[in-house]
Amino acid sequence: MKFKTFLQRTAIAFSLMLAASGVLAAPLSYQLRVDGLACPFCAYGIEKKLNAIEGVERVETNIKDGAVIVIMQDGFTLDEATARKAVKEAGFSLRKLEPAQSVPNAGPR
Amino acid sequence: MKTLIKTGLSILCVWAGTAWGAPITFNTALPVHEGGYVLREQFIYMKIADDPTPAQRDMRVSGVMSVLGYGVTSDFALFGMLPWFNKRLDMTMGGEALTRRESGVGDLTVQGRYTAFQRDTPGRTLRIAPFLGVKAPTGEEDARDGFGRLPPAVQPGSGSWDALGGAVVTWQTLDLQIDGQAGYQASREAKGFQPGNVLRIDASLQYRLWPRNLGADVPAFLYGVLEASLAHSARDRIGGADDPNSGGTTLSITPGLQYVTRKWIVEAGIQIPLNQHLNGTALRNDYVITTGFRINF
Repeated sequence: MKFKTFLQRTAIAFSLMLAASGVLAAPLSYQLRVDGLACPFCAYGIEKKLNAIEGVERVETNIKDGAVIVIMQDGFTLDEATARKAVKEAGFSLRKLEPAQSVPNAGPR
Repeated sequence: MKTLIKTGLSILCVWAGTAWGAPITFNTALPVHEGGYVLREQFIYMKIADDPTPAQRDMRVSGVMSVLGYGVTSDFALFGMLPWFNKRLDMTMGGEALTRRESGVGDLTVQGRYTAFQRDTPGRTLRIAPFLGVKAPTGEEDARDGFGRLPPAVQPGSGSWDALGGAVVTWQTLDLQIDGQAGYQASREAKGFQPGNVLRIDASLQYRLWPRNLGADVPAFLYGVLEASLAHSARDRIGGADDPNSGGTTLSITPGLQYVTRKWIVEAGIQIPLNQHLNGTALRNDYVITTGFRINF
């Protein structure tokens, strides 16, 4: 094996190991479609309830689309039943929860 | 006089505790989140005059209405409302100018509101919520000055346990909000005086003036507000007999503005009577100025 080929294969293997260990993985994020969300004062209760879920890093609301992005801390996931309960406690209705595009790591707002 | 004060103050009793981007003068069906609080402070200035009699009565009431709402569940909220009043009555008697005044904490109202119907769709919601409350006689109702016991209209409290109830419907979209409410307050007798019961029908339109276009965030909203209120008060009873100079019907409108953020709301409105059919020599309402804020926590 040529030295150049060896270096290439080593680099690829190292990258795969890092990805598998989560070092390069972006935190999980979810998009919640919330029905009934129609004013800024409404958004506060939803964000408060979702932020209280264990493992939630931050919450971002797009009121125009009725969408709430929930970004999780590393190692945490969000299931639909938990999200539905939080939205219900805020006084609104969860239409659906789906994985969102990965977002860069950031501190809480 | 008593009728107008009572009708004006019933504005503040029947709405008791709005939470969200709600009307200025009455309730809303929008929720208080479970375990959450909403604090509302309203500053009121009310002028009631135009006395057709030689007494030339002129009444001014300023006050602060403190409301704390708590979300027991997402469907059921409790509200406590405690007012503070400064009331002043100027009049002429025997050619002499006379002023009678009193200030103090008024009657505490506790109210429960339950969301009986809720239909949420993307960017809009429709809700119907009946409410039921009780007003406790926590305010002074036997205040006196050098002329003797002050008239009921000048007393901070009523002295009676009263009941109130009704229902409110709210339809909210991203662009506007419409609220409607029907409420009834039944008063009991205290110290020989029983205010007439009050029936109120309210409607409100809030329209988002700014921002005109929404982006991918949660901007603050500036709402233009127009509210209408129809209040009918039965005759008061004094010593078991109807007071012919009390009771009547008032139709008024309230234009106003609201600035709504995630955490707080500031608002202002002025209620102006459009039409007043009052019995006898009851005074006419000139205006009610309301400013205030709400905090979500």
